[in-house]
Amino acid sequence: MPKQEFDVLIVGSGHSGGMAAQVLTQKGISCLMLDAGPEVNLATNRVSKNPWELPYRGMNKPGRLPHVVQANEFNANQWVDEKEIPYTHDPASPYNWVRVRMLGGRSLFWGRQSFRMSDWEFKSLDKEGVGDNWPISHADLDPFYSKVEGIFRVSGRKEGKAHFPDGNFLDADYGPDSTTVKKITEIAQGRGYLVSKIRASNGRNGQASSVNLLLPEAMATGKLQIVPNAIVRELTVDKNTGKVNGANFLDRHSKQELHVKARVVVLAAGSLESVRLLMNSGLANSSGMLGRYIIDQLYGVQVVASVPEARGGSAAEGLMGGTALLPRFRNLQKGEKNNFSKGYGMMIASGGAAQPGFFADYGESLQKKLDFHSGACMTASIYGERLPRFENHVRINKLVKDAWGIPVLHAEVKDSANEHNMAKDAADTAEDMLKAAGWDILSKTDKFHPPGYSIHEVGGARMGDDPKKSVLNKWNQSHDVKNLFQVDGGCFVTCGWQNTTLTMMALAMRSAEYLAEQMKTGVI
Amino acid sequence: MQAIAAAPAVPALVTPALVTQQNMQAQTAPARPAGPLASGKRDAVGEPVARFFSATQLAALHRLCELLMPPMGGNPGAIEAGVPEFLDFHVGQSPADRQQMYRSGLELLNSRSAAKFGKAFAALDATQADAIIRPLLVLVPWQFELPKEPGARFMAAAHDDIRVATRNSREWTQAAIAAGRRPVGAQLYFFPVDPVYKG
Ligand SMILES: Cc1cc2nc3c(=O)[nH]c(=O)nc-3n(C[C@H](O)[C@H](O)[C@H](O)COP(=O)(O)OP(=O)(O)OC[C@H]3O[C@@H](n4cnc5c(N)ncnc54)[C@H](O)[C@@H]3O)c2cc1C
Repeated sequence: MPKQEFDVLIVGSGHSGGMAAQVLTQKGISCLMLDAGPEVNLATNRVSKNPWELPYRGMNKPGRLPHVVQANEFNANQWVDEKEIPYTHDPASPYNWVRVRMLGGRSLFWGRQSFRMSDWEFKSLDKEGVGDNWPISHADLDPFYSKVEGIFRVSGRKEGKAHFPDGNFLDADYGPDSTTVKKITEIAQGRGYLVSKIRASNGRNGQASSVNLLLPEAMATGKLQIVPNAIVRELTVDKNTGKVNGANFLDRHSKQELHVKARVVVLAAGSLESVRLLMNSGLANSSGMLGRYIIDQLYGVQVVASVPEARGGSAAEGLMGGTALLPRFRNLQKGEKNNFSKGYGMMIASGGAAQPGFFADYGESLQKKLDFHSGACMTASIYGERLPRFENHVRINKLVKDAWGIPVLHAEVKDSANEHNMAKDAADTAEDMLKAAGWDILSKTDKFHPPGYSIHEVGGARMGDDPKKSVLNKWNQSHDVKNLFQVDGGCFVTCGWQNTTLTMMALAMRSAEYLAEQMKTGVI
Repeated sequence: MQAIAAAPAVPALVTPALVTQQNMQAQTAPARPAGPLASGKRDAVGEPVARFFSATQLAALHRLCELLMPPMGGNPGAIEAGVPEFLDFHVGQSPADRQQMYRSGLELLNSRSAAKFGKAFAALDATQADAIIRPLLVLVPWQFELPKEPGARFMAAAHDDIRVATRNSREWTQAAIAAGRRPVGAQLYFFPVDPVYKG
């Protein structure tokens, strides 16, 4: 019996797929969403446990999830099993790919920091002579950012600065700054740096995910069908037109393969999974750029200082607590000379604890030091912008297949002197500011995690006006296949220092509105 | 004869009287408790059996645990928390490079002790042991990468493991409860999700 042909097939149900589904269905377009994972009820699938109640005392099953630094024995089951769906890399160039396969994807677990990107990122080439320009600017995305901020109920403090654009914020009550936050703020401002506060998605009922903010609205239209446990293996193409006409997918349990028909395909499987799918389908790569320019942010640099007046539990009320956020401050001024391009944001948190590794000591003597500095620490950490580079890429490794027989990705993504110099500058700058406040440095490192660790992997199908240099156009539409869209982070041209998801969702919304218009007018 | 003839050919398996008694038992049996029937805890009933390290390695680990994480501030130490035996199990389940790091690290403690004091690490007093431990302790500002030098690498890893395994133990939680402190370390455990059907 011939099956229904859907208007749009959406692959993936996370932030980006959920956003596309909401926009398209509200415009009356019938959508089928396939997601590789099951639907999980977070309320019943989690239970509070003591570490010693777990088989490995909360210390992880050794060797499980070697690439997911964020994993512990409590949350190990929420990540993609690396044995089931492996990927490869040269052991000397590790890549940490952190994945979730469940309805809602990573939106179930994200940290909700929600920043806009600015024209220092969208027009990187024009402003700084680095990387490439996006084919869009902040002004193009501004109305979509505002709508997404409304849906996700983003709170933030307005600053009126072009490099840290304000948004459609709920009022945030950050409370009065502690004395230490005031002090570091003065020092940073004295150097000409903007000091602000975290901007975050509040969501509803403690969740800001696709499954509570996007998909229910889409379902309410009666225009969306969601099939879980449906792993898309490849997109299928009409030989006469060269357009995509659906996809082959595998049932996660039985591995039975099925075909589904659709007039348009929207990929939202996460930047790298969507690229993998395109590569395994042999599509959208006339530019040779598919899989190229993989980027994410540089995390891990950390400097910790101890505040003398707070040691030994002696902190007066109001001395410690709270955070200061320094949005990117390097290389914004004309003529500024640094041994690296772009920049980093910095978070300084007041009131933390010292780590045992900060002291070459043990036993009671170590414990006394830890107790002495407990609650007295100021911790500076960074969000660094990595440069987009052609050489940093993913490709299919035909020799390795996942549990469903689908060829996996090989990641070749390396850091350069730019990242190392940036990390060194960040550590030195943090140390300098903390010392200027009169605090004692306990620990300083300019080391950072391998690429991928930030869980903000983007690029691989970058957007651009020139079909020879980009995979997607400014509407997230394939240059090669006009009824094919990719609305996740694959389209990013630069990654910025800002967490990427708000931008992904604004782009997904903009792309879906464009697609709906094109379908209405019959262009697609 | 008559008596024999009166006996049933096949004795009834359940006499009517017994059936009645069983029915009554069923009616008066206590209700199933609300919680699970099997609520006993592994660590509360069993002593771990060490299988991975050699006797001399395990003895060195024992001494190291005693020194790095003694009982402090009303909390149990690593020995009370069964950490040497737990690490014997945990390292025994680990990839080969971690196993090797531990084995050679413990051997290093023993060989340096033998060279300096003529006895095994386990037999050293606290001052002697300090002379072996200190040179291997280095600062670890970047906790995601262990020091390169093998001895320092082992010490950093073991120190961290011993501290965490102690704090994550049942004994640590019990001590906190007994002292009226809120036990730390409980988190939301995420159950395996609808595992793939294996047939
Ligand atoms: C712990 C954590 C903290 C984070 N914190 C922040 C933060 O503070 N701020 C921020 O901006 N970002 C944060 N992120 C990143 C953020 O979660 C991601 O950028 C975002 O969720 C990506 O959305 P997506 O829809 O593109 O991809 P995903 O959420 O990965 O969704 C992709 C979906 O596609 C499905 N899929 C994959 N392959 C296939 C296939 N072949 N067939 C069918 N379906 C498929 C998957 O099952 C998945 O559901 C965090 C992430 C994590 C995990």
